[in-house]
Amino acid sequence: MTVDRGGGVEAKRLKLVAKWATVISILSICLILSMSLSSMVGPMPMGVEKVLGIMLRQVPVLGGLLDRCWTPQEEVVVVQLRLPRALSAALVGMALSAAGVVFQGVFRNPMADPYVLGVASGAGFGASLAIVLGLGLPSLGLIYAVPVMASMGSLLTMALVYLIARAGGGLPILRLLLAGIAVSSFFSSMTSLMLAVAGEELHAAFSWLFGGFPAVRWELVYVAAPVILACLILIYAYARDLNVMLLGEEQAKQLGVEVEDVKRRLMVSASIVTAAAVSVSGIIGFVGLIVPHMMRLLVGPDHRILIPSSALAGATLLTLCDVAARTMLRPVVLPTGVVTSMLGAPFFTYLLARSERLRRGEAA
Amino acid sequence: MTFSIDARELVGLLGPNGSGKTTLLKAISRALRPKVGAVYLNEEEVYRMKGREVAKNVAVVPQVGGVGFDLTALDVVLMGRHPHLGRFELEGERDLAVAREAMKMTKVWHLAERRVSELSGGERQRVMIARALAQEPKVLLLDEPTTHLDINCQLEIMDLLREVCVKRGIAALAVLHDLNLASCYCDRLMLMKEGRIVAAGSVEEVLTSKNVREVFGVDVLVKRHLATGAPYVVPLPPRRAAPAGGPRVHMICGAGTGSRLMKALVEGGFNVTAGVLHVLDTDHEMAAALGLSTVSEAPFSPISEQSHEANLEMIRRADAVVLTSMPVGYGNLLNLKAALAAAESGIPTFVVDDVPIAKRDFTRGEARELMLELRRAGAAFVSSQDELLRLLDELKAKSPAEVPSRG
Repeated sequence: MTVDRGGGVEAKRLKLVAKWATVISILSICLILSMSLSSMVGPMPMGVEKVLGIMLRQVPVLGGLLDRCWTPQEEVVVVQLRLPRALSAALVGMALSAAGVVFQGVFRNPMADPYVLGVASGAGFGASLAIVLGLGLPSLGLIYAVPVMASMGSLLTMALVYLIARAGGGLPILRLLLAGIAVSSFFSSMTSLMLAVAGEELHAAFSWLFGGFPAVRWELVYVAAPVILACLILIYAYARDLNVMLLGEEQAKQLGVEVEDVKRRLMVSASIVTAAAVSVSGIIGFVGLIVPHMMRLLVGPDHRILIPSSALAGATLLTLCDVAARTMLRPVVLPTGVVTSMLGAPFFTYLLARSERLRRGEAA
Repeated sequence: MTFSIDARELVGLLGPNGSGKTTLLKAISRALRPKVGAVYLNEEEVYRMKGREVAKNVAVVPQVGGVGFDLTALDVVLMGRHPHLGRFELEGERDLAVAREAMKMTKVWHLAERRVSELSGGERQRVMIARALAQEPKVLLLDEPTTHLDINCQLEIMDLLREVCVKRGIAALAVLHDLNLASCYCDRLMLMKEGRIVAAGSVEEVLTSKNVREVFGVDVLVKRHLATGAPYVVPLPPRRAAPAGGPRVHMICGAGTGSRLMKALVEGGFNVTAGVLHVLDTDHEMAAALGLSTVSEAPFSPISEQSHEANLEMIRRADAVVLTSMPVGYGNLLNLKAALAAAESGIPTFVVDDVPIAKRDFTRGEARELMLELRRAGAAFVSSQDELLRLLDELKAKSPAEVPSRG
């Protein structure tokens, strides 16, 4: 008689939720720690007790009970400059990573990233247009011109790609990819044109295209956060459908998934999330590509845990990259997008090599 | 086309590649909307129903294929619970119980935590069947469930399907390519060609050499399976075109001793006739497949006087007569007498003597006696079929007048 390990398998499966909760808690703690770290470093370094104190002080009722151990200037720096920056980095990291999971899942292609449908190049075009036309100058009072134009550009490309790809009521993956490539390269060349005619604004445009958080304000967070969070919740509602779609669209249909609807909703939400992120930070590469892979290695392919854990890990990663961008070559602040690829690529290579070794170890 | 399948029934869908079998399955399972026509499930149009509702009733086992990303067998089977779960609902104890039950039935429970990509083709197919069962369907559709599997796996999967139909009260429709596998395991068969059902009904009604030729365009013999009695299809190698109208050769044979010769002679351009052959005899089926004029007798009955007379008539018109080393009993003793009559009337008569008569005489010596008489009457005894073919070729060469002018 063979030993029935069945009870074990079932029990393990039923404990999955507890395991997921643990993963989410650990990642949340990491995120809070990284955001605190982000608020500590800068030209005016502060201890962790000051930063945490200032943060708690912002909470109504509870805040009044705390004793101040910091100067008013320090409070202004943390609340007006560092917190919005940390929050934006977290939000953007969250958005790009979750969108990456969605695109890789829907396209069933590990090379997909949030920018496959041309969102980045559309945003880049909108932003550089705004910069070159001088709309972004604070003196004009149009401080939001760049993010607004960026989001308009990305929504425009999205719409174009969908219109081109739509055929016979469905959204065939291959047409989407090709339409994405076509529209994307068009807007990239338009951006290059903008840069070619740009004068003094060239530096501003370039630093936007590299991606970073040089001038974030609370207002931007207030606008982007609800959009990103709402779309993430919508995406999460289709987590199990995404699992089933891993088997292929046809089998998903046969298992009761309304594939066309799900695909459309997921891709529109993921594109909006990406557009919102890009509008805040400019084009930050690599996060949306590697975080989903990292988390798949760690928590497995189930989207019900993959989506939230990627969102949290992406938020943490981008916050830490932003810290690195501000501290590596102090006092020069690097574009965050430069750092993500610089640090992300070697780390990802390491993870790949390690997982390959693990797999071989299992086989032996 | 209209057809229905009952619970506990396994129906095989057969037809050449591109005849629309897979398309039909997809249309039923709501994966491919037909341009015209409708599919009804319990009197409701499936394309008006929600996908989840259809999936609770109809499950599909796809062709063996790869699975992206690293899902475990249990992950895949639990996906069968998808139509039963709410949007934010997690698989609960009942879902796990259903999945375990399904995986035990298909004998893959011990593989639950293995990655599907690491499983063998047969194991993977069992996992897919378990996933379909986890949907708790009333109808199961299978697209070539045994393709790419070895013979052992094929039989196991078909056994499993039968068991599933009966124990779970499921109506199953399976696209199959192996006619004999279908014959052994299916309750009913449907034969498709160019998007239409050509034949439908019991295995015996559908699997005839006529239907198979019409649909697949190949010549086959349909026999009975030795152990199961189910129709058993044997493909015949394609006939090489040869000019007919050569010397007329009459074959006296039976029990398969003449099949190879008949085919060789037809291909050699001889004008072949045969008789008396019993219906259901292998040689009879071969003669029918080759389209020879044949004198037939009802199965298992002795050759009647009438048939014997008809046979003699055919022999009189022949340029040569061939008697094979068939077993001789009282039922076909008259065939030996017919051969003797031919020899006595001066028609060249050849006796293939590759099996001694003593070993195939079931008439207590009467057949042996007739063989001696044949020798006395001047019949040519040859030791093998190949030697006979050589002799007949010489005969053909000697009679140039009768060499066909056709072509």
